[in-house]
Amino acid sequence: MAKKIVAVTACIAGIAHTYMAAENLKKYAKKEGYDIKVETQGAMGLENRLSQDDIDGADVVIFAVDTTVQESDRFDGKQILKVGTSEVVKDGQAAIDKAMELVK
Amino acid sequence: MSEKLSSFISEKNIVMDLDAHTQDEAIEQLSEILKKNGNISSTEGFYEDVLKRESMTTTGIGKNIAIPHGKSESVTDTTMMFAKNKTPLEWNSLDGSKVNIIFLMAVSPATQGNEHLKMLANLSGRLMDDDFVSAIKKAKTTEEILNLIKE
Repeated sequence: MAKKIVAVTACIAGIAHTYMAAENLKKYAKKEGYDIKVETQGAMGLENRLSQDDIDGADVVIFAVDTTVQESDRFDGKQILKVGTSEVVKDGQAAIDKAMELVK
Repeated sequence: MSEKLSSFISEKNIVMDLDAHTQDEAIEQLSEILKKNGNISSTEGFYEDVLKRESMTTTGIGKNIAIPHGKSESVTDTTMMFAKNKTPLEWNSLDGSKVNIIFLMAVSPATQGNEHLKMLANLSGRLMDDDFVSAIKKAKTTEEILNLIKE
């Protein structure tokens, strides 16, 4: 079965990097054949909200954030890779690889 | 949708031959156009807010593209400017590349959940798509850019 990733992206202004990071994570997760769901916490609020089932069923969590994750208690007990949004925008592949490294 | 898009971006939001010599000059010139277009109330106020954001982390996202943006009280109507600069500009980019493609986003703090904000989010996401980026780079006319952004 394909590995499952859930991710949250959030930047300071919530205008651009939140959404670029989300797309880049999806792009490289798909390329590697992983399932991925990404919640964006931007200027429009929480979108594509991850359910507790999504989170519980995930192998690994990626926080691509420059600010605090809202409702982060949903992720208690999970393996979490925390990176900045710029890092993910620059190199989505590396973020996915690092996350998978955590749960090897 | 197309009516909304037209109010969001039209010919007057696109500059194919910007002639700035520095990053600050590019932001300033584009701010002046936003003022002329009636999207911001103060060139100075908006410019300062964009530079403030710029000072936190670079908006040079790589591949010769920059997306300076400001959430600013000076913005009356959330919108964006697209520009191609005649020469590549130093922008402290993530990949070290110089910038000649600029998307300047102007966001009013009052636009939570606004359609224009969705379009900026959507456009930002598409900048991760290599095909979209290469089409933007190849485009030579205002019309081509408009069509790509509206796609």
